[in-house]
Amino acid sequence: MSKPILSCRGIRRAFPVGDQSIEVLHGVNLELREGERLSLMGTSGAGKTTLLNILGLLDPPTEGEVYIDGTSGWGLSAVERAQLRNRRIGFVFQFYHLLPELTALENVLLPAMIAHGGMEYLRLRSEFTDRAREMLVRFGLEERLRHRPGQLSGGEQQRVAIARALFLDPPILIADEPTGNLDRRTGEKVLELLFEQQAERGTALLLVTHDERLAARCERTLYMEDGLIQADSGTPIPQ
Amino acid sequence: MGMLPRSPARARPRVYRWFLSLRYLKARRTNWIGVAGLFVAVAALILILSIMAGFLSESRQHLRGNLADVMVMPRMDAPIAATGELPRADPGPLLELVRSHPGVAAASVQLQWYGIMMREGGSEVMEHPLYGDLGLVSLVGIDVEDEYATTDLRESLLSTPPPASRVRMEYVDDIDDPFAQPQGFEWDGLPLPTILVGAQLAGSLGLHKGDVVQIITSSIDREEGAVGEPSNEKFVIAGFFRTGENEMDLERIYMQRQVLATFLDRDAAWSQAMLRLDDYEHDHERIVAELRHKLYQAGYVHDPEHPFYKGGEVTTWEAFRGNLLGAIENEKALMGVMLSLVMLVAGFTIFAIHSMLVAEKRRDIGILCALGGTPRGILATFLLIGCWEVLVGASLGTLVGVYAALRIDPLEQWLSRTFGVQIFNRDVYLFDHIPSVIEISGVALIVLGAISVTLLFSSIPAWRAARLDPIEALRSE
Ligand SMILES: Nc1ncnc2c1ncn2[C@@H]1O[C@H](COP(=O)(O)OP(=O)(O)OP(=O)(O)O)[C@@H](O)[C@H]1O
Ligand SMILES: [Mg+2]
Repeated sequence: MSKPILSCRGIRRAFPVGDQSIEVLHGVNLELREGERLSLMGTSGAGKTTLLNILGLLDPPTEGEVYIDGTSGWGLSAVERAQLRNRRIGFVFQFYHLLPELTALENVLLPAMIAHGGMEYLRLRSEFTDRAREMLVRFGLEERLRHRPGQLSGGEQQRVAIARALFLDPPILIADEPTGNLDRRTGEKVLELLFEQQAERGTALLLVTHDERLAARCERTLYMEDGLIQADSGTPIPQ
Repeated sequence: MGMLPRSPARARPRVYRWFLSLRYLKARRTNWIGVAGLFVAVAALILILSIMAGFLSESRQHLRGNLADVMVMPRMDAPIAATGELPRADPGPLLELVRSHPGVAAASVQLQWYGIMMREGGSEVMEHPLYGDLGLVSLVGIDVEDEYATTDLRESLLSTPPPASRVRMEYVDDIDDPFAQPQGFEWDGLPLPTILVGAQLAGSLGLHKGDVVQIITSSIDREEGAVGEPSNEKFVIAGFFRTGENEMDLERIYMQRQVLATFLDRDAAWSQAMLRLDDYEHDHERIVAELRHKLYQAGYVHDPEHPFYKGGEVTTWEAFRGNLLGAIENEKALMGVMLSLVMLVAGFTIFAIHSMLVAEKRRDIGILCALGGTPRGILATFLLIGCWEVLVGASLGTLVGVYAALRIDPLEQWLSRTFGVQIFNRDVYLFDHIPSVIEISGVALIVLGAISVTLLFSSIPAWRAARLDPIEALRSE
């Protein structure tokens, strides 16, 4: 059995509302193994997005630990955490979240621009650009390299977002309802691409979805309700 | 994995800061309003302060008139140490004393008194523009050669009036002998003593070269403390002078010192000494202090160490004109302060525009955080936008401001011609051109001010951007 690449223990998260504090997560435990495809389902308001933000080192938990490659993510400095987000985690959001002033190609290059200093980037630029172009061509966006997000359809935007999330080859991919904003046929195509890339690169995928059929295509599914993981769809695949 | 080189953990400026700041600058047209504000502020400050500096330096010229670098106005009532006699009869010992002082290039003495001038033949006192019907003039007796060496008398005898002014210049026949009788002049077959008249005075009284005037004066007998008998004598005008200093040109009359002494019929042969220094700019403070001490020891002036000593006996021309120069200096400083408000307004504009930009880019900031951007990186990104703005605005402003200051005259003429409005009225000022002096230190200060204002005002929105909670920022649609 492969080792966990991302896990959490006893995650609690409370939000201050007025002068009270409302707890949204009540001690969540989770494990994502190397190369695993894991889906997370649950009713709206269960706390899925809140959990993903904590696992993705974007939002600090009130209590509990997040481990990435065995090190506690929230025990690190802000700069080290930013570096982990940059190198080890790829994000795909429901609303694509591309930078509107950048072309498709530039959006894909953004993680590399965050990873590298000026001289280094200049030295590697042609290599990066070639790679980004190759990816976008493979994703069926050959004609769209120089287009702005505003000039792209939702499906195209999400494909650019997937290319961006995978550009630095992170071992973890976190996707929060990546097809939630797309019509069914487009959504399926985008998901096909996501699964294909995930398998090819051996990336571990944590996928939040409301679609049972998508969850069925994952090796494991977790059900979340009222801030707790209630059920595990079954045994992890034996290795 | 492993396809890309791993970068070490130490933080260093990442490309996205440069890239995104430039992209945001380019994409948001409103940013150029801030750039335009900086441009206008820098250009206007440089231009206006250059003109003010020009006016100041030109006014210094005008205010100086025919004063010398340093002037000595000794007490005449105490015997001097060298001879035990009162100093007024013979200026020789004083001239010797000051000329021997290192740093003094030349020295001359003047005898100054007051009188009333009348045109010959007329019994009425001529009407004087300043004092109504009092034709009060200042009589200055000089030794021509010495005077040429210490003051700008020679230049003022050769000066040309501004084109728009109503003053005519009637020059002396021989600049090396300005007190020679005007050519062809004769008065009952006798020569008359000659005078040089200020151009403004001559202009306002309608005097011409060769005219004969009467001067009445009366001196005070110091020993008896009474006004002496009035003296009255005829003089002929040998020529005009124009110093540019209004008061001098309006009331001063030069004659030979010996002539004036005889006319006054007193034992006083001189009243003040004029000195030219080798290096006024650098040495005047030290030399004035040394002279005060030296002249005190020789008995010419009061004790400079005395608590009530005011220093008027040995003074630079600037101290003599202190108030007026100070007023112009003040005006320049005031102008600088007023125009700095333009810079402040540009700063506010940048603040407003950057705040809008940050509010608009909340989602981008959240995305950058998710992709691995640090708060510091985000701060730097938005601060860099300010840097580009001030780089463009201040450099263009400096270029245009300096160019305009250098070419202000043709520019003003072009503007006046194009719009049919006279911007600089040459009749009002004593200058026939718009003076302007570019002070490098001033320009540097203005540019530095623009940089600090921009950085200060763009750092607040940038700091706010860096403090955004990425989750909040990502949620905003
Ligand atoms: N910043 C916050 N302040 C207060 N309450 C919050 C905050 N963020 C989330 N919540 C609350 O936490 C609960 C869980 O929210 P979350 O977005 O994690 O749900 P979700 O499972 O992702 O729902 P959905 O399926 O609709 O996306 C909700 O009741 C929400 O109102
Ligand atoms: Mg959600």
